[in-house]
Amino acid sequence: MSANFYDYVRGISDQVPLGYSPNGMRAYRHLVYVGASQMVEAHFPELREQLGEDAWRELIAAFVRDSRWSSAYYGDMKDAFLEFIAIESTRED
Amino acid sequence: MMIGLGFRREMLDWDMSAVQADFFEVAPENWIYRDLAPLHALIESGRPVHLHGVALNLGGTAALDQSFLRDLRKLINALGRPLYSDHLAASGDSHQLYDLFAVPFTAPQARRVADRICAVQDALGMRIAIENTTWYTNIGTMPEADFLGMVLERADCQLLLDLNNLSVNHKNHGGLSPSEFVQRLGMGRVSYMHVAGHEFDPRFDLFMDTHSQPVEAHTQQLATRLAERHGTPVLLEWDNDVPGIDVINEELSCLRTSMTT
Repeated sequence: MSANFYDYVRGISDQVPLGYSPNGMRAYRHLVYVGASQMVEAHFPELREQLGEDAWRELIAAFVRDSRWSSAYYGDMKDAFLEFIAIESTRED
Repeated sequence: MMIGLGFRREMLDWDMSAVQADFFEVAPENWIYRDLAPLHALIESGRPVHLHGVALNLGGTAALDQSFLRDLRKLINALGRPLYSDHLAASGDSHQLYDLFAVPFTAPQARRVADRICAVQDALGMRIAIENTTWYTNIGTMPEADFLGMVLERADCQLLLDLNNLSVNHKNHGGLSPSEFVQRLGMGRVSYMHVAGHEFDPRFDLFMDTHSQPVEAHTQQLATRLAERHGTPVLLEWDNDVPGIDVINEELSCLRTSMTT
C-alpha cells in the first residue's frame, strides 16, 4: 500500500491510487470518517448539535486529514481530538 | 458442538446465564485497562472467553507496538491463556486509522506479514490465529485463498475462518464461492469460525461487513456443515444495532439446527 492509498483514505488527496477501485477507496474513506465521528460524538455528545451538520462534517474531516494517531486503543482518539482542537484554535487566533 | 457469541458492551447488563452460548469472544483492546470481573464471571460459568483483537496492525508497516504486546500478554495470562486472534489486515500506515485495510495479494507481502506474525508469536510465547478479512478494493495478482494459505504456512499460525467475510468478498469481487474457498484452503489450521450479517450500501455499490444483521442462510448452512464435518466451533458476531437476548438466542439456535436434527 502506497502513501497515495492513505492520502486518499485521510481525504488529503482525491486521486485514486493505481490499481484500486474508486468505490472501494470511497468506502475505506467513509469507514475511517465514521470511526472518528462516532468516537468524538461519544465523548462530546453536545458538539455535533452545537456546530450543525456542515461544520461538524468539516471538523471531523479536518481531524482525519491531520491524524497522526498511534495508540493501539481506539478510545485514545479522544485525547488526539483535544490536541487537534487546541492546535486548531491557536491557528485561528 | 461449540457455539459462541461475541460479547459486547451492550451485554454487560444482560443476564448472561440466559444466553445459550458455549463460549465468548471479546476485543482485548477494550479490556486491557478495565475491570475483568464480567469476563471472570463468564469463565467461572464454564464458558471460555477468547480474545479477538483489532489493533495489532499485522499488515501495516509501523513497528509492532511492544508496549501493547506486553499489555496483551498480561491480559492473556489473566484470562487463563485463551485463544488470541487478530486480522490479516493493516490498521494504517505508520499511524493507526482504526480500520482494517487489505494487504496487497502478492508473495513478498505474504512473506512480510508472515514474519510479523512470527514476531508477535515470539513476543506472546504462543501461537495466534489470523482472520481473513473483508476487503473493498485491493491490488496484487494472487488469488486471496493462495495468499492466505501462504501466510498461514510461513507463519505456522492458525486461522480464524470468517465465513461472512468470504461471502461479502465473493459478492463484491466474484472469485471463489465461500465453500470453494474453504475447499481450496482446507480446515486444518482453523481454530474456529465466525459468522455475522452484512448489508448492501448503494453509496459504494458494495456489500459492507456491518455485523448488524442476522446471518444469511448460505453462510449459516456452510457453518453448520463445516462444524458437523470437522467439529470446528462457530461464533456469532453482532456488533452494531445489537438486538435483544431473544433474537441473539434465536440466531445461536439456528447455528445448532442442523446438528440436532
